[in-house]
Amino acid sequence: METIIIDGLSYALPLFIIAIGGIYSERSGIINLALEGLLGFGAFTGGLFVALLGKYFTHAGWPIYLSFLVAAIGGGIFALLHALLTIKFKANQVISGVVVNIVSVALTGFLTSQINASVFDQPSNRFLLSVLPRYTIPVLSDIPVIGAIFKNVYPFSFMIVVLFIIFWYIFRHSRYGMHLRACGDNPQAADAAGINVYRTRFWAVVISGALAGIGGMSFAYSISTNFSPAVYMGAGYLAIAALIFGNWNIMPTLFACLIFGFARSGAYQLMRELALPSSFSDLAMTIPYVLTLLLLIFFSKTNKAPRALGEIYDKSKR
Amino acid sequence: MPDSNRRGNPLLRFFGNQRWQFITIPLVAILMSLITASIIVLILGKNPLTTFQSLLQGSGFIPKPNYANFKNVFTDFVDTVDAVTPMIFASLAVAVAFHAGLFNIGVSGQMLLSGFVATIVVGYSPLPAVLAKPLVIIIGIIVGALVGGLIGFLKYRFNINEVVAAIMLNYIIQYTISFFINTRYVDPVSRQSRVISSASRLTLLNVPYGDIRMRIPIAFVIAILLAIFLWFFFAKMKPGFEMKMVGLNQVASRYAGVRIGKTLIMAMMISGALAGLAGVSYYLGFFSSIQPNVLTSVGFDAIAVSLLGNSHPIGVIFSSWLITALSRGGTYMSSMVGIRYEIAALIVGLILLFSAMSQFIRQRINALISRSDRR
Repeated sequence: METIIIDGLSYALPLFIIAIGGIYSERSGIINLALEGLLGFGAFTGGLFVALLGKYFTHAGWPIYLSFLVAAIGGGIFALLHALLTIKFKANQVISGVVVNIVSVALTGFLTSQINASVFDQPSNRFLLSVLPRYTIPVLSDIPVIGAIFKNVYPFSFMIVVLFIIFWYIFRHSRYGMHLRACGDNPQAADAAGINVYRTRFWAVVISGALAGIGGMSFAYSISTNFSPAVYMGAGYLAIAALIFGNWNIMPTLFACLIFGFARSGAYQLMRELALPSSFSDLAMTIPYVLTLLLLIFFSKTNKAPRALGEIYDKSKR
Repeated sequence: MPDSNRRGNPLLRFFGNQRWQFITIPLVAILMSLITASIIVLILGKNPLTTFQSLLQGSGFIPKPNYANFKNVFTDFVDTVDAVTPMIFASLAVAVAFHAGLFNIGVSGQMLLSGFVATIVVGYSPLPAVLAKPLVIIIGIIVGALVGGLIGFLKYRFNINEVVAAIMLNYIIQYTISFFINTRYVDPVSRQSRVISSASRLTLLNVPYGDIRMRIPIAFVIAILLAIFLWFFFAKMKPGFEMKMVGLNQVASRYAGVRIGKTLIMAMMISGALAGLAGVSYYLGFFSSIQPNVLTSVGFDAIAVSLLGNSHPIGVIFSSWLITALSRGGTYMSSMVGIRYEIAALIVGLILLFSAMSQFIRQRINALISRSDRR
C-alpha cells in the first residue's frame, strides 16, 4: 500500500503540473498538443545546465533546484514557437502542436549528441543527472496509511504542490485568470471588454511551456536520472488526456492524474505480489489506460470544451 | 495604372497567383527551411550543397559514386518507394479524418494492431502467396477500420474526445501486443517478433532484374490508386461531400439532413482502414517483424506530412515523398559529410515548421501584392 502511494504520487504530480499548463493554454483558447515537445525541451535545457555545471563545478546540492528553474525557462522559451505559430502566424493549432513536438524531438536529439561530442568529448545521447534525495516528514509520516504521502517524497513534489496552489489561485481568482477564461470562451466579447486577447493567450502558452518544462525535468530525474530521448514517453499526451478527463478544470484534473498514477503503481505492485514473470508487466501497464477509458465512458457525457478552443482569433474578423 | 501592375515584381507575381498558391506556398516553405538548414550546416563548418546532395544520393534520387554488388541508384530509389508506401497510407488516414473535422492521432496504434493481427493470422501460416497477400491487405483494412470505428463510436455515443480515446487505445494496443510478442511470438535472437513467411510479405525481395536485385513494393500501387480514388471521393461523391460538410459546420449539416453520427463513425472507419493498410505495408512489407513495446513514429509524422500536402489526397503523395526521402538519406549523408544524421530529422522538422506557417506566408504575399498594386 505504501509503495503504491509513494510511487503513484511521484508519477501523478509531474503529470499534473504538465496538465495545469495544458489547462492554462486550452482555457485561453489554444489547443496544446505541444506539451510533449515542451516537456522534452524543458528537460533538455535542465539536463544541459546540470551537465555544464558538472563540467565546471563539482556536483553540489543546489544545481538540482536551479535545474528546475532552467527547465521552466527552457520550456517557456520553446513554447514561444507554439505561441508565435498559433497566435501571430495563425497556424492550425493542432498542426502547430504536432510540429512543435517533431521539432523538439529532432532538435534535442541533434543538440544532445552534438554538444556531448563537441563540449564533453564523448559519444553519448544523454546528459547524466544526479540522483535526487528523498525526504520524509517526521511526524506526519507516522499517520497510518495516508502517512505514506509524506514518506520518501521527491523535492519536486513539494515544489509542484506549491506551484499548483499558486496557479490554481491565479486561474480561479486573479484578474489574469478571469481574462484567460474569457478569451477561451468568447474572444470577441473579451476583446470588446478591453482585454488584449493576443497577449493573454500568448502568456498562457508560455506558462504552459514553463510548467511542462518543470514536469519534464521531474520525469527526467525520477524515471531515468538522465536526460535522453527516452523522456519522450508520451507523458504530454497523457496530460492532455487527463485535462480533458478533468473537463478543463484544475481540481478534477488533479483527480484524474491521481487515478492514473495510483492505477499505474497499483498495477506494478499487483505484479510484484502475484510474483508474475516480468513479461506480464506489459499487461499491467495497460491497466491505467483501460481504467481511464472506462471512466471516460461514464464521465464524459457532460464534458464540454472551452467554446472558442481551436478558433484562430482574428481581430479584424467578425 | 493596371498595366504597370502586370509588370510588377515577377517573383511576387509568381507566388501571388491564387490559382497556383496550393503548390507555390509549400514551395516557399520548403525553400525557407532549406535556407535555414543551410545556415545550420554552415555553422557546423560543412558545405550545405554536398549535404543536400548526399541526402538525395542516400535516398536514391541521384547516383552515388559507387555501389555494392547487385545495387545501383534504381535499387536505392525502390527502397525509398518501399519506405514511402506506409507514409502515404498513414497521411491519407490523417487527411480523411481531417476533412471530417476529426483528428486521428491513433494512426500508429491502428497500424500496430493491424500489422500484428495480419502477422499472426497470415504471416505465420503456410498459405501460398496468391492467398496470403490479399488476405494480409483485407485483414489490415478490417482491423484498422474496427479500431477507427471504435474511436468514432466512442465520440458519437459517449462524447469521448477522439484525441483522448485514440491516445488511450495507442497505449493499450502497444502494451498488449508487446505482451503477446514477448510471451508467444518472440525471436530469441533479434528480440522482435518472428519473421513472417515471404509468401505473406507485401514487398517482394531480391527480384532479379538485369544484373541487380531489387525490392518490389506491391502496396505502393494500391496507395496511389487509393489516393486518386479519395480525391474523387471528396470532390465528386455524396458521402465525401457530407464528410467535408460535417467537418466545416456540424450544426449546418444537421439542418441539411446529414446524419452526423453515421458520418463521423464512417470517416473514422475509413481513416482507420487506411491506417491499417499503412500498418500491413509497414510491418509486413517494409519490415517483416514487429519490435515489441515501440509505437512507430510514422503515425505521428503523418499528421504533419498530411498538412504539408494540404490534406489533399494527391498533395499527400508528394509530401510523403519529400519527408521520407529526407529522413532516409540521413545515414548516408552522415557518413559522407561527417555531420550527425540527426540533422536530417531537423531539416524535416524545419520544413514542417515553415509549412505550418503557410497561412501566414499566403497572407504576407497577398498583402505585399495589394500594396504594390496600390502604388
